[in-house]
Amino acid sequence: MLFFKECKKILRSLSFWIFFVITALMFFTQYFNDGKFRASEYTGGYKIVENHEQIMNEAINTLMGEYTSNNYVCYPYGFYKAVSLKEKKKEKVEIYIQEMMGVDHNGIEDILESHLQEWLNTDHEGIEVYLESTSSDSIMDFFSQCPENRFDDLTVKSDLTYERFTEIMGEIDDILGGGSDFAVDALVFNYSRVDMTDEDSLKQYEAFIKYDRITYALARLFSDYMGIDLAFLPVFVSAVFVAADRRRRMSELVYSRSISSFKLVFTRYAALVVTMFIPIIVFMMIAFIQAKVVYSGEKMSMSAMFTLPTFWLLPNIMVATASGMLLTEVFSAGIAIAFQCVWAFRCLMSGSVALAGDIGKFDLICRHNSTFDRDIFMQCFNDFVFNRIFFMVISLLAVCIAAYVYDLKRGGKFNGFKLFGEGGLLRRKA
Amino acid sequence: MVSSCLAKVVCSDVRHNFLLHYLAAIIALAVTPIIFGLSELNEKMAAQPLEIMSPIFGMLLMTPIFMPEQNESISDVVRSKKTSHILVCFLRLLCSLLLTIALVGILALYMRYNDSKVTARLFAGAIGGALALGSLGFFSSAVGDNAVIGYMVSASYLLMNMILREKLWIFDMFSFSEGKTEINSWLYLSALVLIVLALLFRKYIKSN
Repeated sequence: MLFFKECKKILRSLSFWIFFVITALMFFTQYFNDGKFRASEYTGGYKIVENHEQIMNEAINTLMGEYTSNNYVCYPYGFYKAVSLKEKKKEKVEIYIQEMMGVDHNGIEDILESHLQEWLNTDHEGIEVYLESTSSDSIMDFFSQCPENRFDDLTVKSDLTYERFTEIMGEIDDILGGGSDFAVDALVFNYSRVDMTDEDSLKQYEAFIKYDRITYALARLFSDYMGIDLAFLPVFVSAVFVAADRRRRMSELVYSRSISSFKLVFTRYAALVVTMFIPIIVFMMIAFIQAKVVYSGEKMSMSAMFTLPTFWLLPNIMVATASGMLLTEVFSAGIAIAFQCVWAFRCLMSGSVALAGDIGKFDLICRHNSTFDRDIFMQCFNDFVFNRIFFMVISLLAVCIAAYVYDLKRGGKFNGFKLFGEGGLLRRKA
Repeated sequence: MVSSCLAKVVCSDVRHNFLLHYLAAIIALAVTPIIFGLSELNEKMAAQPLEIMSPIFGMLLMTPIFMPEQNESISDVVRSKKTSHILVCFLRLLCSLLLTIALVGILALYMRYNDSKVTARLFAGAIGGALALGSLGFFSSAVGDNAVIGYMVSASYLLMNMILREKLWIFDMFSFSEGKTEINSWLYLSALVLIVLALLFRKYIKSN
């Protein structure tokens, strides 16, 4: 049977075994290491309390500090980036601050003036000397020369609604190029965190034992770690496999067979997905046995360690494999790899600062790096289900297109887009 | 005579086989200021863009050295020629090494120009990371006889380095970002060993 023949071919390939080794490394160094110890009843940490007043006031203080020094800390791709705004954009931000605080330009100047007086009243070593030496014409110029300004007593106007506040913050984040402390998704995490009490910790632990029945929580952590690798590694295996016919000069021989293009491409796709899922099943079993040993005597769900990771991780393998197949057929293996790696890396690095419940409707990588925080995960459960089904459908569509392209190639109507070589877009004409 | 023949081979290689990879590395350099902040950084902060982007340059430029011969038709023609294939590969590698160092140098100079503290040791450390990851890709593609294998191994190592960091012990490519101030000479040594092993593998095992 063709399916088993293809599976055998993949299992014998070097790329598959490299895939196996890398996923094993991820599993043993990350999940297995974390899973060695029992979850503690008193975890400490923080909890999110969605207090709108607290969020708005803390955010306006941070914004004012960054605005006055014109030095905004952003992490647009997960890496530190200091953004300084030009005059026009600076003015826009000031207008938003004025709206949120219910003051005009003079009001802002007054706030800065009193902030400066406060500074001078407290013992800031050398501040007077610094003030005298600076050539600032206005108070704003003086503040813009300070590397960091801290405000902590500013408040937003009383009739500002939270909806309008988030709208403004979203626009400020756009002006800054994204990834700032004012991104709408990050507001709650950044400005509404409080330390957990012992009682809160105990509640989390109870949810872990009672509702998650241990293995649901561990399965989330397992899927979080493995999902990172599975968002990009399958593209390499799939690209090598798809390009193999061409490389071994077998394309023409396969083209001449009577099997339909759709059947051939889908069989290969199924073989790739199934073989790449085998190591994951093995790791699920190891994780389950580990959980049984570490939590011996506790009641746990027997199926969760298998069902949840399957639903979570299978779409990752499906998408990366499908994009590998489609782009290798249309362009080349290099383009497929570059596309998938950039997509996965972008998704991994530009995710929310909170690693628990970082699940959007269209995020390739779903993150929940915690055995606790069941409530946060359940809040985005609908998005999670939508996300996984969406990526399954998208990957099947991509394979349909790949099969169509393969059929065109087979009929000699299309030969893929190439930059160099015979028929290449950049080939110089004689 | 031999040297002019080799020069022609290398020129032709650059034009026909590696231009796309050179272009990819230059694009990676061009997008660096979009991804990272490069101005007014202290040595530890300046290490982040340098230590992440340099290995990517190395990976993009050093991994595809054996790629043209992946095509069996080309491989058959190469085997029939008198010119040493390993020597040609070595010259390709030199070109890639020089370009890698040049790109890391441009990035370092750009950062210095923007008042970031890029010291000579940080620059040397970044070159070490570039050579180590590039040679890992070079070695893997030599053994796997496929540039995709080389990219797979080196890209995975880069990701593992981001996650495992100090757990990688002497093979950690991001030591300056973690606050260390000494050049990791193990990276240079491992790069040298991997390059020699890859060339020996191609000469004595693959060619038989």
